[in-house]
Amino acid sequence: MELSLPRRKQILYAVIAVLIAIVFLFPIYWLVQLSFKPDMEAFGKVLTYYPHTFTFGPWQENLNDPVFITSLKNSFINAFLTMGITLLLGVPAAYGMGRYKVRGISLFLLTFLVSQMLPASLTLTPLYLIFSNVGLLGNHFASPIAIAASSIPFAIITLRPFFRSVPVTLDEAARLDGCGPVRAFFYVMIPAVKTGIITIVVISFLNGWNDLVYSMTFNVGADMRPLTANIYKFQSAYGTKWNCIMAYGTILVLPVILLFIFMQKYIVGGLTAGAVKE
Amino acid sequence: MQRRKPSVEAQRRKEAYFFILPAFIYILLVMGYPMVYNAVLSLKDMNVKNLKSGASVFIGLKNYADLFANETFLLVLKNTFVFTVSCLIFQFIIGFAFALFFRQKFPLSGVIRGMILISYMMPMAVTGLLGKNIFMNDGLINDLLKHLGIIGPEWLTNTTYSLRAVIIMNCWVGIPFNMLLLISGLTSISSDVYESAMIDGANWIQRFCRITLPLMKSSIFAVLMLGFIYTFRAFDLMYIMTKGGPLNSTDVLGTYSYMFSFTQFQFSKGSAVAMVLFGCLFVVGMFYLHLLRKEEE
Repeated sequence: MELSLPRRKQILYAVIAVLIAIVFLFPIYWLVQLSFKPDMEAFGKVLTYYPHTFTFGPWQENLNDPVFITSLKNSFINAFLTMGITLLLGVPAAYGMGRYKVRGISLFLLTFLVSQMLPASLTLTPLYLIFSNVGLLGNHFASPIAIAASSIPFAIITLRPFFRSVPVTLDEAARLDGCGPVRAFFYVMIPAVKTGIITIVVISFLNGWNDLVYSMTFNVGADMRPLTANIYKFQSAYGTKWNCIMAYGTILVLPVILLFIFMQKYIVGGLTAGAVKE
Repeated sequence: MQRRKPSVEAQRRKEAYFFILPAFIYILLVMGYPMVYNAVLSLKDMNVKNLKSGASVFIGLKNYADLFANETFLLVLKNTFVFTVSCLIFQFIIGFAFALFFRQKFPLSGVIRGMILISYMMPMAVTGLLGKNIFMNDGLINDLLKHLGIIGPEWLTNTTYSLRAVIIMNCWVGIPFNMLLLISGLTSISSDVYESAMIDGANWIQRFCRITLPLMKSSIFAVLMLGFIYTFRAFDLMYIMTKGGPLNSTDVLGTYSYMFSFTQFQFSKGSAVAMVLFGCLFVVGMFYLHLLRKEEE
């Protein structure tokens, strides 16, 4: 439902909305502005609300550190591997759940719904012991395997309605043209649900990028850890140099902000669908 | 044709399982099996010493008995509930207010609604860093309070205030989540209902209580329920912002379980705490299903 408002009220509401945004997003501004302050200002006695002297120093300090670069690389590895596993298993399952009526569907659905809500704490200790037995600790795949276990259900729940809404005539036509089920899936169905797939790509990437608990538990050495899991290491190295810590934080938030600028509609649609469906 | 039908059926079933089973088996292996393993582990006495030798033995419910006899654990349990309920209340009220405001059509409403979501999508670890910074004794929050003539508390070193600081930070993340889900509930209410109410002369309070709230009942249930599930398992925020301190004042089940398993390497104790966490979620989940079924009747 959209309520249409008189012009005067619209302008008033827009002003209020801007004020809300300024207050609500102030912490993000705070994070970014601190990262451009020189040491003197960052831990001076007087708190300044913007950098009186502007410097890239804290950013350079991070980017010149080989451990930082390795962690950044690990963050990308974490994110892309999580995304890969999620797409590989989640998309076909969503298709199967959306297009076929077979026995057991409701059991599958219940399993996926419940597993999406399970806390990491519940599987963390056993997975650590299992991974240690099979030699997966300190392997780049360890945390993505665990993270994907919650992004796959998310992908299935979000994508299933997309697959359902594709007209039946479309895959019937493909079958008549001699496409097998796998070919029809790749060449007809996937292009038809492109919007949903992009949502899954973005969200599963962010799940991998944002992960802290699996990445710090399964990667024992600092050289294997992504940025999130190395925060403590850098914090103790930087001490009270908040400008450097905040530059670190800003770099960590940057991909999220970029994805928001370019992919907002996919993220918003996906979050709503994945969280409330069924 | 008659005879071919079952084989077509069988073929379709095979196809369906071909697409679904890999994900299903994956979930069973990476979530189902560890869950069972966790339950078993919580009944043993596995720690770093007997891990390699495999000499851990079953000790029944001793881990649980130890936990509930332990004052720190009871504090942690209380913290988890205080944290979750406080977050739910504040983020729901503010999120609902935001939803009511931003579902209206005016310039910038869509853009700002989307921008607000950034706090929900950014890494919780960074939110924790930010919280640590702005709640410092001479940090942003106390500086703002000073301008209002208030002397701010020592948020992160005083046990009375530390949990509040963490709650505030978590609400900042939860508000957009509530707003998003509530907006999608609001948009499903047809505007005809409001128009006829307006013709009947209902003011906005009447419209809110008589139309919006009753029609939003299931969305509200869903939001609170999901909010509970996602807030109760909190870990990242506390781990980075306060590490559970000072004096366990911000320790919750998630961080407490982690501490047992991965700083003391008492895996079975960590598992037992995780089982308590799961038990609470399970009870709430069942309660929610019960309410849903009642509503359907």
